[in-house]
Amino acid sequence: MRREYTDASDAALVVSIGRYEQAALAEAYRRHAGATFGLAKRLLSDHARAEEVVQEVFVRLWNEPNRFDPERGTLRSYLLAHTHGRAVDLIRSDASRRNREEKEARQQAAGGYDIAHEVWDIALAGHVRDAMEKLQQGEREAIELAYFGGLTYREAADRLGEPEGTVKSRIRSGLKRLRAELVHAGVSVGAD
Amino acid sequence: MSAEHDDMAGRPGDTYELDELLGAYALDAVDDDERRRVEDYLAVNPRAAAEVQAHREVATMLAFTGMDAPDDLWSRISDEIGEPAPPLGEELAKVISMDDRARRHGIGRIAPWIMTAAAAAVIGFVAIGLTDRADAPDEPLASAVDVALANPDSATTQLVSEASDSTADAVIDPDGNGFVLASDLPALPQDQTYQLWGVVETGDVISLGIFGPDPDVETFTIEGSVTALAITIEDAPGVISNGNPDGAFVGAF
Repeated sequence: MRREYTDASDAALVVSIGRYEQAALAEAYRRHAGATFGLAKRLLSDHARAEEVVQEVFVRLWNEPNRFDPERGTLRSYLLAHTHGRAVDLIRSDASRRNREEKEARQQAAGGYDIAHEVWDIALAGHVRDAMEKLQQGEREAIELAYFGGLTYREAADRLGEPEGTVKSRIRSGLKRLRAELVHAGVSVGAD
Repeated sequence: MSAEHDDMAGRPGDTYELDELLGAYALDAVDDDERRRVEDYLAVNPRAAAEVQAHREVATMLAFTGMDAPDDLWSRISDEIGEPAPPLGEELAKVISMDDRARRHGIGRIAPWIMTAAAAAVIGFVAIGLTDRADAPDEPLASAVDVALANPDSATTQLVSEASDSTADAVIDPDGNGFVLASDLPALPQDQTYQLWGVVETGDVISLGIFGPDPDVETFTIEGSVTALAITIEDAPGVISNGNPDGAFVGAF
């Protein structure tokens, strides 16, 4: 019996990856490499290092597919979480951190909030933009600095001049509000 | 909040603080000490673990960027995992048949010593699979293992090795959800890994998963018949077939 990997669920792909089916990894890469690379590049501001992170993430999926539990979320979420974690590790251990922050500060001063420019699906971009705009400003700033800036909540608090506990709470409440707004807009957000 | 959760958090009342950290933790925005505390908390609090997963799914929405990965990146990944790269695209999207799979993951030199250990009893499934958590999404892994062990229809075996005093217990429930309690296996160097194998009814030996160098409770699924399991020590990231028999842990059903 033969079937197309293109029709396979992500969970089925990972089972096949566990059987050393490289074509299954290729299909997972085809589906999710763009998102993982985009996130890594945004975090690291470095094309070559973003490629290294994506390579590491997919090689890890190949070597340890059992780390992915389809009961606990989507493959895309799993891969992006690893991408984000690895990129943040690099940022925090990187001697060029200061240069990156200065570059980022210049970009923010010039461009402001423009997440929609980097969202590939127009409909989803609209929903995400709308949901982000419905957040309180403090929630939005805290989430952006933590997720896209790679800062700890303490560092974000220092950057924003706010108490650490306030920023910590804003990240959590902002994520909850963002989820609620996306669900309200009809967007399927992972394991609902 | 339960007293148990308070105890795991470290001090009574810490659960509020840990709950407040869940958003930041999901975005990797905590320091190393906080990360460890949150992870201890998540291990005993399925509600908190579910909240973290929900936060990560939301973050996934933010990460949609629309970029394409660089053209040559797939080739480099393929080179690193050590096999010729199939082209990207629909033409590669095939699943090999069970017969083909049996040949690819076939018996090789690993077979004789596993078959020697394998008893005649057959666990009633048809081969193969890797890693699935059983039962409800929020059910802790330990509970899933307990449920499987308590089921009189589950099959159990102990994997032993002539080269080690350590053992690993394995249980497969009637639905084919398997668990290997491998925490007693000695940790390996980082360039090695434990690999699980199953002997299917045809006598072929099939790789069921890679456990890494320091396994704990590991999961797998099967959809067929297995008469024995074996765990071998391989060079990372593992092998496709012909597992290393030296020091292998073997258990028959």
